Amino acid sequence: MRIDTRMKLRNVAGENIVIMSDGQASDMTRVVAFNESALEVYNALKEREFELDDVVRVLTDIYEVDEATARRDAGAWIEAMRKNDMLL
Amino acid sequence: MRLEVGGMGIAIGGGRSVELLRRLPGFAIFETGEGRVDVHIELDSHEVIPEGTLLHSFDIVDGQMVCRFCKLVDGRYVYRFGDMGALLCPAPGREGEEPYRISELRMPAVLRFAVWTAVSMAGLGFGCLPVHSSVVVCDGRAVMCLGESGTGKSTHTRLWLQHIEGTHLLNDDSPLLGRDADGWHVYGSPWSGKTPCFRRERWPLAALLRLEQRPENTIRRLGTIESFTALQPSCPPCMMKDELLQDALVDYVGRVISEVPVYKMGCLPDEAAARLSHNTIFGQ
Repeated sequence: MRIDTRMKLRNVAGENIVIMSDGQASDMTRVVAFNESALEVYNALKEREFELDDVVRVLTDIYEVDEATARRDAGAWIEAMRKNDMLL
Repeated sequence: MRLEVGGMGIAIGGGRSVELLRRLPGFAIFETGEGRVDVHIELDSHEVIPEGTLLHSFDIVDGQMVCRFCKLVDGRYVYRFGDMGALLCPAPGREGEEPYRISELRMPAVLRFAVWTAVSMAGLGFGCLPVHSSVVVCDGRAVMCLGESGTGKSTHTRLWLQHIEGTHLLNDDSPLLGRDADGWHVYGSPWSGKTPCFRRERWPLAALLRLEQRPENTIRRLGTIESFTALQPSCPPCMMKDELLQDALVDYVGRVISEVPVYKMGCLPDEAAARLSHNTIFGQ
């Protein structure tokens, strides 16, 4: 899988967000906000193909976290990205 | 003709449409004669405007016409008003150098919208944008009420006028919001929706208030992300349809919400709602 970088990650007033384009609805804006660790994973993987194991490795490389926890968090990150159509 | 809107000096030239514009409600109040010129608008332009790539289309003048928003290969933007005519806008960064060209538009409502659009596009470059809102001024500071059409923005500001002493309406549809050396200010404009409230005034902004109809009155201050989603939909919608314009708009909204408190209010159309928002914003 790959991150769909056509959706631009922006820093707005200190928050890292992606603005979702929801068709014609002009009076509703939906954004996806990235916390620090979600952003680390995004930046580490934004330019290449990756699998679940790559996400786990990013987390264990950066944070003092055991493999099982990292795997759970990596799965949650992929699920959130997929739910928001941010993966190709 | 020279208008001063949102702190921008706007020179408007052309043929008979200049006189037509001057006679439309609101415009004469913003006419200022001599002064600095930041933006040039040329009415009754004969420039042949290429079609461009369609970015967005939407209804205007109460659904009587479709407006098509397009981009040209050279970076300029075009708004095409049905088959009646078009507005040609310079590429970003050239707002002060090239004129905004508007062809002859036979319908006053379309001319009014075309000039609003030109001012919006220029304003993005100057950091001063129209914000769809109803604005009330109290104790020397402005409160911008935001919300979807039909939410009760005008109703809420009218409740302030009725129940809070020393308040007046600045604009009921499309004031401009820009930053000066001493902070964010709201400017009256010639575009005030169905309410003829045209004031050439400028007031410091106390707060943004996003309204929703609810069976009880509640108010809370929003964090950064919710503040963004509260303000951004009230800015000119076409700007989200092009990456360059979106970058500038998102930057603008980010700068506003970094410095101005944003509240979300669920409200009834009653006196208690006006008192709750007033007391929360002005700390009484």
